[in-house]
Amino acid sequence: MISFKNVNKWYGELHVLNKVDLEVEKGEVVVVCGPSGSGKSTLIRCINRLEPIQKGELFVDGMAVHDKKINMTKIRADIGFIFQSFNLYPHMTALENTTIAPLKVKKMKREEAEKIGRKMLTRVGLADRMDHYPTQLSGGQQQRVAIARGLTMKPKIMLFDEPTSALDPEMIHEVLDVMRDLAKEGMTMMAVTHEMGFAREVASRVIFMDEGTIIEVAPPNDFFTNPQTDRGKTFLQSILTH
Amino acid sequence: MWSFYFHELMRSMPFFLKGVYMTVAVAGLSLIFGTIIGFIAGILRAGRNKPARFIVGAWVDLIRGTPFLVQVFIIFFILPGIGIELEAFPAAVIALTNLTASFICEIVAGGIIAVPQGQREAATAAGLSYYQQLRFIVLPQAMRTILPPLVGQYVLLVKDSSVVSAIGVVDITRVGWLTVQRVPEGLMVFGLVGLLYFAICYPLINLSGFLERRMTVASTKL
Repeated sequence: MISFKNVNKWYGELHVLNKVDLEVEKGEVVVVCGPSGSGKSTLIRCINRLEPIQKGELFVDGMAVHDKKINMTKIRADIGFIFQSFNLYPHMTALENTTIAPLKVKKMKREEAEKIGRKMLTRVGLADRMDHYPTQLSGGQQQRVAIARGLTMKPKIMLFDEPTSALDPEMIHEVLDVMRDLAKEGMTMMAVTHEMGFAREVASRVIFMDEGTIIEVAPPNDFFTNPQTDRGKTFLQSILTH
Repeated sequence: MWSFYFHELMRSMPFFLKGVYMTVAVAGLSLIFGTIIGFIAGILRAGRNKPARFIVGAWVDLIRGTPFLVQVFIIFFILPGIGIELEAFPAAVIALTNLTASFICEIVAGGIIAVPQGQREAATAAGLSYYQQLRFIVLPQAMRTILPPLVGQYVLLVKDSSVVSAIGVVDITRVGWLTVQRVPEGLMVFGLVGLLYFAICYPLINLSGFLERRMTVASTKL
Protein backbone atom coordinates (compact mmCIF):
# COMPACT_ATOMS: atom_id res chain seq x y z
CA MET A 1 0.00 0.00 0.00
CA ILE A 2 2.86 2.34 0.91
CA SER A 3 6.30 1.61 -0.40
CA PHE A 4 9.49 3.56 0.36
CA LYS A 5 12.45 2.62 -1.84
CA ASN A 6 15.76 4.18 -0.83
CA VAL A 7 14.04 7.47 0.07
CA ASN A 8 16.29 10.42 0.89
CA LYS A 9 15.49 13.95 1.94
CA TRP A 10 17.63 16.87 3.01
CA TYR A 11 16.88 20.22 4.64
CA GLY A 12 19.93 22.07 3.43
CA GLU A 13 22.82 20.11 4.91
CA LEU A 14 20.65 18.12 7.27
CA HIS A 15 19.94 14.61 6.05
CA VAL A 16 16.43 14.16 7.48
CA LEU A 17 15.60 10.90 5.72
CA ASN A 18 18.52 8.62 5.03
CA LYS A 19 18.00 5.64 2.70
CA VAL A 20 14.58 4.74 4.02
CA ASP A 21 13.14 1.43 2.84
CA LEU A 22 9.73 0.42 4.10
CA GLU A 23 6.72 -1.55 2.92
CA VAL A 24 3.33 -1.09 4.56
CA GLU A 25 0.68 -3.62 3.60
CA LYS A 26 -3.04 -3.00 3.33
CA GLY A 27 -4.69 -3.17 6.75
CA GLU A 28 -1.44 -2.78 8.64
CA VAL A 29 -1.08 -0.44 11.59
CA VAL A 30 2.45 0.89 11.82
CA VAL A 31 3.57 2.98 14.77
CA VAL A 32 6.59 5.21 14.21
CA CYS A 33 8.57 6.35 17.21
CA GLY A 34 11.94 7.87 17.92
CA PRO A 35 13.54 10.86 19.56
CA SER A 36 12.70 14.40 18.58
CA GLY A 37 14.28 15.36 15.25
CA SER A 38 14.65 11.75 14.14
CA GLY A 39 12.66 12.33 10.95
CA LYS A 40 9.51 10.44 11.95
CA SER A 41 7.11 13.29 11.14
CA THR A 42 8.92 13.98 7.90
CA LEU A 43 8.58 10.31 7.02
CA ILE A 44 4.79 10.37 7.08
CA ARG A 45 4.52 13.90 5.66
CA CYS A 46 6.29 12.62 2.54
CA ILE A 47 3.56 10.06 1.91
CA ASN A 48 1.06 12.67 0.69
CA ARG A 49 3.87 14.99 -0.41
CA LEU A 50 3.36 17.65 2.20
CA GLU A 51 7.14 17.37 1.94
CA PRO A 52 8.75 16.39 -1.36
CA ILE A 53 11.50 13.78 -1.34
CA GLN A 54 14.73 14.43 -3.20
CA LYS A 55 15.94 10.97 -3.99
CA GLY A 56 14.45 7.50 -4.17
CA GLU A 57 10.98 6.21 -4.94
CA LEU A 58 7.77 6.37 -2.97
CA PHE A 59 4.61 4.61 -4.09
CA VAL A 60 1.17 4.89 -2.53
CA ASP A 61 -1.41 2.42 -3.77
CA GLY A 62 0.70 1.94 -6.90
CA MET A 63 1.02 5.67 -7.65
CA ALA A 64 4.44 7.28 -7.83
CA VAL A 65 4.42 10.10 -5.27
CA HIS A 66 8.08 10.90 -6.02
CA ASP A 67 7.17 11.77 -9.62
CA LYS A 68 6.95 15.58 -9.81
CA LYS A 69 4.58 15.37 -12.77
CA ILE A 70 1.97 13.27 -11.03
CA ASN A 71 -1.27 14.95 -9.94
CA MET A 72 -1.43 14.60 -6.17
CA THR A 73 -5.10 15.54 -5.76
CA LYS A 74 -6.39 12.02 -6.29
CA ILE A 75 -3.76 10.46 -4.03
CA ARG A 76 -4.26 13.04 -1.29
CA ALA A 77 -8.02 12.53 -1.39
CA ASP A 78 -7.37 8.87 -0.53
CA ILE A 79 -5.15 9.65 2.44
CA GLY A 80 -6.48 11.09 5.70
CA PHE A 81 -3.91 13.16 7.55
CA ILE A 82 -4.21 14.07 11.23
CA PHE A 83 -2.01 16.85 12.60
CA GLN A 84 -0.65 17.37 16.07
CA SER A 85 -2.28 20.82 16.20
CA PHE A 86 -5.61 19.60 14.66
CA ASN A 87 -5.64 22.40 12.03
CA LEU A 88 -9.42 22.57 11.90
CA TYR A 89 -10.77 25.45 9.82
CA PRO A 90 -11.76 27.96 12.53
CA HIS A 91 -14.35 29.76 10.39
CA MET A 92 -16.37 26.59 9.83
CA THR A 93 -18.52 24.46 12.10
CA ALA A 94 -17.55 20.88 12.85
CA LEU A 95 -19.93 19.67 10.15
CA GLU A 96 -18.64 22.19 7.59
CA ASN A 97 -15.10 21.10 8.41
CA THR A 98 -16.00 17.56 7.46
CA THR A 99 -17.94 18.41 4.29
CA ILE A 100 -15.67 20.92 2.53
CA ALA A 101 -13.34 18.36 0.95
CA PRO A 102 -16.10 15.99 -0.22
CA LEU A 103 -17.94 18.99 -1.70
CA LYS A 104 -14.98 20.60 -3.45
CA VAL A 105 -12.62 17.72 -4.19
CA LYS A 106 -15.09 14.92 -4.84
CA LYS A 107 -17.82 17.26 -6.13
CA MET A 108 -20.33 15.46 -3.93
CA LYS A 109 -23.84 16.88 -3.58
CA ARG A 110 -24.30 18.88 -0.37
CA GLU A 111 -27.00 16.54 0.91
CA GLU A 112 -24.79 13.52 0.43
CA ALA A 113 -21.70 15.22 1.90
CA GLU A 114 -23.62 16.30 4.99
CA LYS A 115 -25.03 12.82 5.43
CA ILE A 116 -21.60 11.26 5.46
CA GLY A 117 -20.20 14.14 7.55
CA ARG A 118 -22.89 13.54 10.21
CA LYS A 119 -22.23 9.83 10.10
CA MET A 120 -18.51 10.29 10.71
CA LEU A 121 -18.98 12.88 13.46
CA THR A 122 -21.41 10.48 15.14
CA ARG A 123 -18.88 7.72 14.77
CA VAL A 124 -16.25 9.73 16.69
CA GLY A 125 -18.83 10.50 19.38
CA LEU A 126 -19.65 14.09 18.46
CA ALA A 127 -23.24 13.79 17.28
CA ASP A 128 -24.19 16.67 19.60
CA ARG A 129 -21.37 18.98 18.49
CA MET A 130 -21.94 19.23 14.74
CA ASP A 131 -22.80 22.92 14.68
CA HIS A 132 -20.05 23.98 17.08
CA TYR A 133 -17.08 25.99 15.94
CA PRO A 134 -13.59 24.65 16.73
CA THR A 135 -13.02 27.27 19.45
CA GLN A 136 -16.10 25.96 21.24
CA LEU A 137 -14.67 22.45 21.43
CA SER A 138 -12.07 20.90 23.72
CA GLY A 139 -8.76 19.71 22.30
CA GLY A 140 -9.86 16.09 22.32
CA GLN A 141 -13.09 16.98 20.57
CA GLN A 142 -11.23 19.04 17.98
CA GLN A 143 -8.91 16.16 17.20
CA ARG A 144 -11.90 13.84 16.82
CA VAL A 145 -13.49 16.32 14.40
CA ALA A 146 -10.20 16.24 12.48
CA ILE A 147 -10.39 12.45 12.32
CA ALA A 148 -14.00 12.62 11.14
CA ARG A 149 -12.93 15.18 8.55
CA GLY A 150 -10.37 12.70 7.25
CA LEU A 151 -12.84 9.83 7.25
CA THR A 152 -15.51 11.60 5.17
CA MET A 153 -13.19 11.23 2.19
CA LYS A 154 -13.37 7.42 2.62
CA PRO A 155 -9.58 7.21 2.72
CA LYS A 156 -7.58 4.07 2.03
CA ILE A 157 -4.87 5.20 4.44
CA MET A 158 -4.91 7.28 7.61
CA LEU A 159 -1.75 9.04 8.74
CA PHE A 160 -1.37 10.45 12.24
CA ASP A 161 1.36 12.93 13.13
CA GLU A 162 1.59 12.93 16.94
CA PRO A 163 -2.19 13.12 17.25
CA THR A 164 -2.27 13.24 21.05
CA SER A 165 0.84 15.31 21.81
CA ALA A 166 -1.03 18.61 22.07
CA LEU A 167 -3.77 17.18 24.29
CA ASP A 168 -4.29 17.34 28.03
CA PRO A 169 -3.81 13.87 29.55
CA GLU A 170 -7.49 13.32 30.28
CA MET A 171 -8.37 13.84 26.62
CA ILE A 172 -5.81 11.52 25.13
CA HIS A 173 -7.88 8.38 25.64
CA GLU A 174 -10.89 9.68 23.71
CA VAL A 175 -8.72 10.18 20.63
CA LEU A 176 -6.90 6.88 21.08
CA ASP A 177 -10.26 5.07 21.40
CA VAL A 178 -11.28 6.37 17.99
CA MET A 179 -7.93 5.38 16.49
CA ARG A 180 -8.17 1.95 18.07
CA ASP A 181 -11.61 1.40 16.54
CA LEU A 182 -10.29 2.43 13.14
CA ALA A 183 -7.38 0.04 13.43
CA LYS A 184 -9.67 -2.80 14.39
CA GLU A 185 -11.88 -2.12 11.38
CA GLY A 186 -8.92 -2.79 9.13
CA MET A 187 -7.85 0.74 8.19
CA THR A 188 -4.29 1.00 6.91
CA MET A 189 -2.62 3.35 9.37
CA MET A 190 0.71 4.94 10.11
CA ALA A 191 0.97 6.85 13.35
CA VAL A 192 3.81 8.84 14.81
CA THR A 193 3.11 8.47 18.50
CA HIS A 194 4.69 7.63 21.81
CA GLU A 195 1.49 6.10 23.17
CA MET A 196 2.90 2.71 23.94
CA GLY A 197 -0.39 1.24 25.17
CA PHE A 198 -1.93 2.02 21.81
CA ALA A 199 1.06 0.58 19.98
CA ARG A 200 1.02 -2.65 21.99
CA GLU A 201 -2.68 -3.15 21.47
CA VAL A 202 -3.16 -2.45 17.77
CA ALA A 203 0.17 -1.97 15.99
CA SER A 204 1.29 -4.70 13.66
CA ARG A 205 4.80 -3.25 13.67
CA VAL A 206 6.74 -0.57 15.47
CA ILE A 207 9.35 1.41 13.58
CA PHE A 208 12.08 3.07 15.57
CA MET A 209 13.87 5.94 13.86
CA ASP A 210 16.91 7.99 14.75
CA GLU A 211 18.78 10.60 12.73
CA GLY A 212 16.72 9.99 9.62
CA THR A 213 17.29 6.26 9.55
CA ILE A 214 15.01 3.37 10.39
CA ILE A 215 16.93 1.54 13.09
CA GLU A 216 14.50 -1.12 14.18
CA VAL A 217 11.35 -2.66 12.80
CA ALA A 218 9.65 -5.16 15.08
CA PRO A 219 6.28 -6.31 16.41
CA PRO A 220 5.39 -4.03 19.34
CA ASN A 221 5.89 -6.60 22.08
CA ASP A 222 9.33 -7.51 20.82
CA PHE A 223 10.41 -3.91 20.50
CA PHE A 224 9.14 -2.82 23.88
CA THR A 225 10.43 -5.80 25.84
CA ASN A 226 13.58 -6.51 23.94
CA PRO A 227 14.92 -3.73 21.70
CA GLN A 228 17.81 -4.91 19.57
CA THR A 229 19.84 -1.72 19.51
CA ASP A 230 21.39 0.46 22.19
CA ARG A 231 19.70 3.54 20.82
CA GLY A 232 16.36 1.75 21.03
CA LYS A 233 17.04 0.80 24.65
CA THR A 234 18.04 4.35 25.59
CA PHE A 235 14.95 5.74 23.90
CA LEU A 236 12.59 3.32 25.63
CA GLN A 237 14.11 4.08 29.01
CA SER A 238 13.70 7.79 28.46
CA ILE A 239 10.02 7.55 27.55
CA LEU A 240 9.12 4.96 30.17
CA THR A 241 10.70 6.84 33.04
CA HIS A 242 9.44 10.30 32.22
CA MET B 1 -18.69 91.58 6.72
CA TRP B 2 -18.41 88.11 8.12
CA SER B 3 -22.14 87.48 7.90
CA PHE B 4 -22.15 88.78 4.34
CA TYR B 5 -19.46 86.31 3.39
CA PHE B 6 -21.28 83.56 5.21
CA HIS B 7 -24.39 84.37 3.22
CA GLU B 8 -22.36 84.31 0.02
CA LEU B 9 -20.87 80.99 1.00
CA MET B 10 -24.29 79.52 1.66
CA ARG B 11 -25.33 80.62 -1.81
CA SER B 12 -22.42 78.62 -3.14
CA MET B 13 -23.71 75.46 -1.47
CA PRO B 14 -25.00 73.87 -4.71
CA PHE B 15 -21.50 74.35 -6.12
CA PHE B 16 -20.02 72.67 -3.06
CA LEU B 17 -22.47 69.79 -3.36
CA LYS B 18 -21.28 69.29 -6.94
CA GLY B 19 -17.77 69.16 -5.51
CA VAL B 20 -18.89 66.54 -3.00
CA TYR B 21 -20.42 64.57 -5.84
CA MET B 22 -17.15 64.77 -7.80
CA THR B 23 -15.06 63.72 -4.80
CA VAL B 24 -17.38 60.80 -4.13
CA ALA B 25 -17.32 59.84 -7.82
CA VAL B 26 -13.51 59.94 -8.10
CA ALA B 27 -12.94 58.25 -4.74
CA GLY B 28 -15.81 55.76 -5.24
CA LEU B 29 -14.63 54.57 -8.65
CA SER B 30 -11.04 54.35 -7.41
CA LEU B 31 -12.26 52.43 -4.37
CA ILE B 32 -13.98 49.82 -6.53
CA PHE B 33 -11.16 49.42 -9.07
CA GLY B 34 -8.44 49.78 -6.44
CA THR B 35 -10.00 47.08 -4.28
CA ILE B 36 -10.30 44.64 -7.17
CA ILE B 37 -6.78 45.27 -8.46
CA GLY B 38 -5.39 45.41 -4.92
CA PHE B 39 -6.84 42.00 -4.05
CA ILE B 40 -5.51 40.41 -7.23
CA ALA B 41 -2.09 41.98 -6.68
CA GLY B 42 -2.09 40.99 -3.00
CA ILE B 43 -2.94 37.38 -3.86
CA LEU B 44 -0.06 37.34 -6.36
CA ARG B 45 2.25 38.99 -3.83
CA ALA B 46 1.52 36.23 -1.31
CA GLY B 47 1.51 33.53 -3.98
CA ARG B 48 3.90 30.91 -5.30
CA ASN B 49 4.91 32.54 -8.57
CA LYS B 50 8.28 34.21 -7.98
CA PRO B 51 8.36 36.56 -11.00
CA ALA B 52 4.82 37.74 -10.20
CA ARG B 53 5.80 38.31 -6.57
CA PHE B 54 8.81 40.32 -7.65
CA ILE B 55 6.98 42.47 -10.19
CA VAL B 56 4.13 43.27 -7.80
CA GLY B 57 6.63 44.04 -5.04
CA ALA B 58 8.57 46.43 -7.27
CA TRP B 59 5.37 48.18 -8.33
CA VAL B 60 4.27 48.60 -4.71
CA ASP B 61 7.64 50.04 -3.71
CA LEU B 62 7.63 52.40 -6.65
CA ILE B 63 4.17 53.76 -5.89
CA ARG B 64 4.76 54.01 -2.16
CA GLY B 65 8.13 55.63 -2.71
CA THR B 66 6.94 58.55 -4.86
CA PRO B 67 4.67 61.48 -3.95
CA PHE B 68 1.09 61.05 -5.08
CA LEU B 69 1.04 64.53 -6.59
CA VAL B 70 3.95 63.56 -8.83
CA GLN B 71 2.12 60.39 -9.89
CA VAL B 72 -0.92 62.47 -10.82
CA PHE B 73 1.24 64.84 -12.86
CA ILE B 74 2.95 61.96 -14.64
CA ILE B 75 -0.36 60.48 -15.67
CA PHE B 76 -1.95 63.78 -16.65
CA PHE B 77 0.93 65.76 -18.17
CA ILE B 78 3.55 63.28 -19.22
CA LEU B 79 1.50 60.44 -20.70
CA PRO B 80 0.10 62.76 -23.42
CA GLY B 81 3.74 63.26 -24.49
CA ILE B 82 3.85 59.62 -25.52
CA GLY B 83 0.47 59.79 -27.18
CA ILE B 84 -1.88 58.87 -24.30
CA GLU B 85 -4.28 61.78 -23.97
CA LEU B 86 -6.48 61.73 -20.87
CA GLU B 87 -9.19 63.97 -19.51
CA ALA B 88 -8.68 65.16 -15.93
CA PHE B 89 -11.39 62.86 -14.51
CA PRO B 90 -10.13 59.53 -15.91
CA ALA B 91 -6.55 60.59 -15.15
CA ALA B 92 -7.56 61.22 -11.53
CA VAL B 93 -9.35 57.88 -11.26
CA ILE B 94 -6.38 56.03 -12.76
CA ALA B 95 -3.89 57.73 -10.42
CA LEU B 96 -6.01 57.13 -7.32
CA THR B 97 -6.82 53.55 -8.32
CA ASN B 98 -3.14 52.86 -8.77
CA LEU B 99 -2.24 54.36 -5.40
CA THR B 100 -5.04 52.61 -3.52
CA ALA B 101 -4.38 49.28 -5.20
CA SER B 102 -0.74 49.34 -4.12
CA PHE B 103 -1.69 49.91 -0.48
CA ILE B 104 -4.51 47.37 -0.53
CA CYS B 105 -2.10 44.89 -2.12
CA GLU B 106 0.10 45.05 0.97
CA ILE B 107 -2.87 44.76 3.33
CA VAL B 108 -4.21 41.71 1.48
CA ALA B 109 -0.81 40.01 1.17
CA GLY B 110 -0.19 40.58 4.87
CA GLY B 111 -3.57 39.09 5.76
CA ILE B 112 -2.98 36.01 3.61
CA ILE B 113 0.50 35.42 5.02
CA ALA B 114 -0.84 35.74 8.56
CA VAL B 115 -3.09 32.68 8.11
CA PRO B 116 -1.26 29.81 9.87
CA GLN B 117 0.62 27.44 7.59
CA GLY B 118 -1.24 24.51 9.16
CA GLN B 119 -4.47 25.68 7.52
CA ARG B 120 -2.95 25.32 4.07
CA GLU B 121 -1.40 22.01 5.00
CA ALA B 122 -4.71 20.61 6.19
CA ALA B 123 -6.39 21.76 2.99
CA THR B 124 -3.54 20.42 0.85
CA ALA B 125 -3.73 17.07 2.61
CA ALA B 126 -7.46 16.93 1.88
CA GLY B 127 -6.77 17.37 -1.84
CA LEU B 128 -7.99 20.95 -2.27
CA SER B 129 -6.31 22.79 -5.14
CA TYR B 130 -4.35 25.99 -4.63
CA TYR B 131 -7.27 28.07 -5.83
CA GLN B 132 -9.77 26.17 -3.65
CA GLN B 133 -7.56 26.65 -0.59
CA LEU B 134 -7.43 30.35 -1.27
CA ARG B 135 -11.14 30.66 -1.90
CA PHE B 136 -12.53 28.51 0.91
CA ILE B 137 -9.84 28.31 3.60
CA VAL B 138 -7.30 31.12 3.42
CA LEU B 139 -9.19 34.22 2.25
CA PRO B 140 -12.17 33.84 4.61
CA GLN B 141 -9.75 33.75 7.53
CA ALA B 142 -7.51 36.47 6.11
CA MET B 143 -10.53 38.80 5.80
CA ARG B 144 -10.48 39.22 9.58
CA THR B 145 -7.04 40.74 9.39
CA ILE B 146 -7.73 42.56 6.14
CA LEU B 147 -11.06 44.30 6.78
CA PRO B 148 -10.24 46.92 9.45
CA PRO B 149 -7.14 48.36 7.68
CA LEU B 150 -8.93 48.06 4.34
CA VAL B 151 -11.68 50.42 5.47
CA GLY B 152 -9.00 52.62 7.01
CA GLN B 153 -7.42 52.75 3.57
CA TYR B 154 -10.73 53.97 2.11
CA VAL B 155 -10.58 56.92 4.51
CA LEU B 156 -7.10 57.75 3.23
CA LEU B 157 -8.37 57.38 -0.31
CA VAL B 158 -11.09 60.01 0.21
CA LYS B 159 -8.57 62.41 1.72
CA ASP B 160 -5.86 61.74 -0.89
CA SER B 161 -8.41 62.43 -3.60
CA SER B 162 -8.08 66.15 -2.80
CA VAL B 163 -4.73 66.06 -4.62
CA VAL B 164 -6.45 65.55 -7.98
CA SER B 165 -7.84 69.09 -7.72
CA ALA B 166 -4.36 70.09 -8.91
CA ILE B 167 -5.13 68.87 -12.44
CA GLY B 168 -8.47 70.63 -12.56
CA VAL B 169 -10.92 68.05 -11.29
CA VAL B 170 -13.64 70.12 -9.66
CA ASP B 171 -13.84 68.22 -6.38
CA ILE B 172 -14.49 69.69 -2.92
CA THR B 173 -10.98 71.12 -2.67
CA ARG B 174 -11.15 72.72 -6.13
CA VAL B 175 -14.53 74.20 -5.31
CA GLY B 176 -12.91 75.68 -2.20
CA TRP B 177 -10.14 77.26 -4.31
CA LEU B 178 -12.64 78.71 -6.75
CA THR B 179 -14.96 79.98 -4.03
CA VAL B 180 -12.25 81.64 -1.98
CA GLN B 181 -11.59 83.97 -4.92
CA ARG B 182 -15.12 85.29 -4.62
CA VAL B 183 -15.49 84.93 -0.85
CA PRO B 184 -12.08 85.95 0.51
CA GLU B 185 -12.61 84.43 3.94
CA GLY B 186 -10.18 81.50 3.73
CA LEU B 187 -10.83 80.07 7.17
CA MET B 188 -14.55 79.93 6.56
CA VAL B 189 -14.33 78.50 3.05
CA PHE B 190 -11.77 75.83 3.83
CA GLY B 191 -13.51 75.17 7.14
CA LEU B 192 -16.48 74.12 5.06
CA VAL B 193 -14.22 72.10 2.74
CA GLY B 194 -12.80 70.25 5.75
CA LEU B 195 -16.24 69.67 7.20
CA LEU B 196 -17.49 68.13 3.98
CA TYR B 197 -14.50 65.73 3.82
CA PHE B 198 -15.07 64.88 7.45
CA ALA B 199 -18.74 64.13 6.75
CA ILE B 200 -17.67 61.54 4.17
CA CYS B 201 -14.83 60.06 6.22
CA TYR B 202 -16.37 59.93 9.68
CA PRO B 203 -18.77 57.04 8.97
CA LEU B 204 -15.87 55.13 7.40
CA ILE B 205 -13.67 55.75 10.45
CA ASN B 206 -16.44 54.43 12.67
CA LEU B 207 -16.93 51.41 10.43
CA SER B 208 -13.21 50.64 10.60
CA GLY B 209 -13.24 50.91 14.39
CA PHE B 210 -16.32 48.73 14.61
CA LEU B 211 -14.78 46.07 12.36
CA GLU B 212 -11.58 46.13 14.35
CA ARG B 213 -13.43 45.50 17.61
CA ARG B 214 -15.62 42.83 16.05
CA MET B 215 -12.77 40.96 14.43
CA THR B 216 -10.80 40.98 17.68
CA VAL B 217 -13.74 39.57 19.61
CA ALA B 218 -14.45 37.00 16.92
CA SER B 219 -10.91 35.68 16.94
CA THR B 220 -10.68 35.39 20.71
CA LYS B 221 -10.96 31.90 22.06
CA LEU B 222 -14.13 31.24 24.01
